[in-house]
Amino acid sequence: MGFETNAEITWCPGCGNFGIRTAFQNAVLELEKKGVKREDIIISSGIGCHAKIFDYINLSGIYGLHGRNSSNAEGVKIANPDLKVITFSGDGNGLGEGLAHTIYAAKRNQDITLVLHNNNVYALTTGQFSSLTPPGWRGPSTPRGSFEIPFNAISLMIEVGATFVARSYAGDIKHLTETLIKAVEHKGFSFIEVLQPAMPYHKWEEYKDKIENLNEEPKSKEESFKIAHNAHRFTIGIFHQEIREVYHKSLYGDLNPVKNSISRKIRLEKINEILKY
Amino acid sequence: MISDVFTFLVGGKAGEGVKKAGSVAAHIFSNMGRQVFQMDDYMSLIRGGHNFSVVSTSSRRITSQYMKANLVVNFDKRSCDTHINDIADGGIVIFNSDEQKGVDGIGIPLSSEAEKYPMKKLMYGVGAVAILSSTIGLSKDQMNQNIKNQYPRGIEDNIKFAGSIYDMVKVGCQNRFPLERGDKERKILTGNESISLGALAGGLNVYYGYPMTPASSILHFLAKQAENFGLAVVHPESEIAVINMAIGSAFTGARSMVGTSGGGFALMTEGFSLAGITETPLLCVLSMRPGPATGVPTYTEQADLMFALSAGHGDFLRIVSSPGTVEEAYYLTAEMLDLVWKFQTPGILLTEKHLSESSMTVDIDIHNAKWAEMKKHNEGKYKRYLDTNDGVSPLLFPPSNEVIKCNSYEHDEYGITTEDAHVIAKMHEKRNKKVDALLEYLKDKKTVNIIRGEHPTNIFAYGSTYLSVLEALRYGKLNPTTIQPIFLSPLPTWELKEFKNQDNIVVEQSISGQFTKLLTEKAGLKVKQTIKRYDGRPFDPIELSQQIKEVLK
Repeated sequence: MGFETNAEITWCPGCGNFGIRTAFQNAVLELEKKGVKREDIIISSGIGCHAKIFDYINLSGIYGLHGRNSSNAEGVKIANPDLKVITFSGDGNGLGEGLAHTIYAAKRNQDITLVLHNNNVYALTTGQFSSLTPPGWRGPSTPRGSFEIPFNAISLMIEVGATFVARSYAGDIKHLTETLIKAVEHKGFSFIEVLQPAMPYHKWEEYKDKIENLNEEPKSKEESFKIAHNAHRFTIGIFHQEIREVYHKSLYGDLNPVKNSISRKIRLEKINEILKY
Repeated sequence: MISDVFTFLVGGKAGEGVKKAGSVAAHIFSNMGRQVFQMDDYMSLIRGGHNFSVVSTSSRRITSQYMKANLVVNFDKRSCDTHINDIADGGIVIFNSDEQKGVDGIGIPLSSEAEKYPMKKLMYGVGAVAILSSTIGLSKDQMNQNIKNQYPRGIEDNIKFAGSIYDMVKVGCQNRFPLERGDKERKILTGNESISLGALAGGLNVYYGYPMTPASSILHFLAKQAENFGLAVVHPESEIAVINMAIGSAFTGARSMVGTSGGGFALMTEGFSLAGITETPLLCVLSMRPGPATGVPTYTEQADLMFALSAGHGDFLRIVSSPGTVEEAYYLTAEMLDLVWKFQTPGILLTEKHLSESSMTVDIDIHNAKWAEMKKHNEGKYKRYLDTNDGVSPLLFPPSNEVIKCNSYEHDEYGITTEDAHVIAKMHEKRNKKVDALLEYLKDKKTVNIIRGEHPTNIFAYGSTYLSVLEALRYGKLNPTTIQPIFLSPLPTWELKEFKNQDNIVVEQSISGQFTKLLTEKAGLKVKQTIKRYDGRPFDPIELSQQIKEVLK
């Protein structure tokens, strides 16, 4: 079964989002070979150029509100933990409007994957600076140049509790595919920042020459944090991995609230017990 | 003296066991087969301040607290000063003589007596129970049994302490208020407990809530019951997360509910609108407290009605209903869960602090709760937003080989984003068909409570104000027809037609008269007068019956 839908593709020609879509589809095919069922994969997205991926991949899920996609994803996972949930986010969507939700999903070690399409800009709304834009960006909301310092998405996510934190690049389909597979297979909150140019604002050349691989394998969270903090923002690789109990297990153990929903009869018996004088 | 009602009022600082004493009193009365209404008045603080609990009881049904108490127990001077006018004719005041001297009433050295025990001030509540037990003529054995059942910590000290207080009160006050037994023992429930149980009966699977008075106790009750009922109960980072998580859960087929008060609901409105366009079944409990903004957190009001009726941007079907009694809260919550699933749209169960947090003896037929039903997809190619005669598309949940796309953008029948003029109009029309479908469905359902009276004037009230009205009419021996719309959106205008040009009075807790506006604008009712209260306190039946009498003249 293909991934195509009948949606008209409206990404700009040459957009980094095409690379992310290709890599994700490749990752799904690989995961299927490893036994993951396609019907168990649920996607969600926020609003922005990144989010259009929802319409362009024929998988079930929720095309949510700007910034709220990881909450939708968490809600899916909490109700039915058998599902594999991947949520797509932009840098403005996930680290601007949706910052609290992104951070809390990591804090909880919710067993979902968040793919952050980082194009350093609010592309769809015509080029304003984002949470990750370096100072000096002349966008329509900052005509004299932006002056806020950007977040470091990688060290931020390590700090707040993500248990798999990686950076990849939309121009390296192989690296991105492999990273996506590892992220989805990871038990816990996995975060991938994907560097991607947005065509009207950047050129591929600005990325190509700067991308470098992370050559270290950090041994501890502290080391991961330090490396992430000091690394060049074009450094790709897995910065941090750890095992921590996932949220739904801590919440209710082996329960599946939807699959194990209690019958009306038993519910009424239990209510009767509570109301017994 | 209100002949068939006995009222006990206990007041003191937060942390002295005031509320607990009220609830133990309520249990003592219900053990006697009597009916009870308990209202707790507390400030937004942890320790200190002034809290009081007022418990009214009768051998017949009682639906309000009375602010004229037969027995007032004050732990401190502030309580004495606050409740100086809350004493019924023939009532008695018992005060803490270690805190003040020279006031009317009977002084008991509560502090110095409590000082003898390690729990000290924490025992004041037990003292109040002892005073009540003595004055209503319970034996010491009966009192001790109640204390054992209700205060599991430090039983021996509590019984010793209660015994000495009981003896002090005995002189002159013992059996001052003999109470007759009632017909049967009943369970005491708060509105929020009843809402929670109704949701469980209706099929609830997940509950999300961010703490906010007066809705928090739903979160607490369900968190406690989570394991028993196989629920996921989650307290996320904000009300925004709450509603978006609930929408995610509903996507998998989980019956989802959220709860909050006005400020939290303001944050939820973006997600409420998302539930509208994605046609997600979602029930929100909105328990009102005085606004605007932070307002008065621990008090009551009905000023979020208009907000609830139009919450969320854009055109979509919103179902809004409000329970008039604690019993109705059980049935209505289950029914709302069913309705939001049947019509795949968000709904609001609108209530107030007064219903949420007051306790009543209840008669509930638990089997009478609805079970959330839905239209399901059987087989073949799936379209999440398939256009149908009633606008309701069949549901399918993951995992499925069919693709299920739920979309916040305007979308086609598959759920793919669209900007096509024809499709936009068609999807609006599809969703709008549900408005008529719901009206048709509700036509033969119970959407309003009407108690026929003989007086030609009618009284309209909704939510917990209905409880106050019922008690005021009983107290004042008045018999106008009372009408309580259970549904506020859609307003059951077909049931209200007959009252259109009659003499109508509205009782509500909003300074701008939001409910009056709804009735005049939506049902075309002529309203002669609106009796309003907006000081955060529920109506008192004696005062309210006076106000009603004046209008009925």
